[in-house]
Amino acid sequence: MGAVTYPDVRVVEFILENLIPLQVKSNAQPIASDFNVKWTPTLVTLDSDGKEHHRTVGFLPPEELVPSLLLGIAKCHFDRERYEEALNVLNKLLESYPKSDAAPEAIFLRGVSLYKSTHNPKPLKEAYEKLQAEYPSSEWTKRAYPYRLIP
Amino acid sequence: MAKTFQWEDSLEKALARAKAENKPILLDFFNPQ
Repeated sequence: MGAVTYPDVRVVEFILENLIPLQVKSNAQPIASDFNVKWTPTLVTLDSDGKEHHRTVGFLPPEELVPSLLLGIAKCHFDRERYEEALNVLNKLLESYPKSDAAPEAIFLRGVSLYKSTHNPKPLKEAYEKLQAEYPSSEWTKRAYPYRLIP
Repeated sequence: MAKTFQWEDSLEKALARAKAENKPILLDFFNPQ
């Protein structure tokens, strides 16, 4: 990550604008135990209270790190029931990185966020239909499978 | 000169900045070897 991904100008600009970067050794205590770190790199998105919302383990290239970080930011909003903010971030992810590994989960979370903010179940079905059409083998398509039955 | 960012090395400092700047934290655990 330090040799390839973090020096990338897209990553630098994204982190400068959107996140507070914190880097610690994987054997640093008590923080490594507090976060149950077993392998590196482990990347965790925390809110300003230190609560975890998103985690990845393993190398990510620049074109996958930025959408993964966007997903983490969206989850920070979603978990705090700030659905409009979550939707803004998820839409940005899906517009800018539609082929990224984070995209299927973003589609799923966008459907749930729309449902939670409107109580209209139709976005859940639309999320499933989009996942089925564009990512038929994704685990998120399987998780959304029951939504196909929404009238 | 290439643009870069500076890592914080303390959770306490990162949390203080996160509150002040209203941003989440990217916490990277790396292999020190």
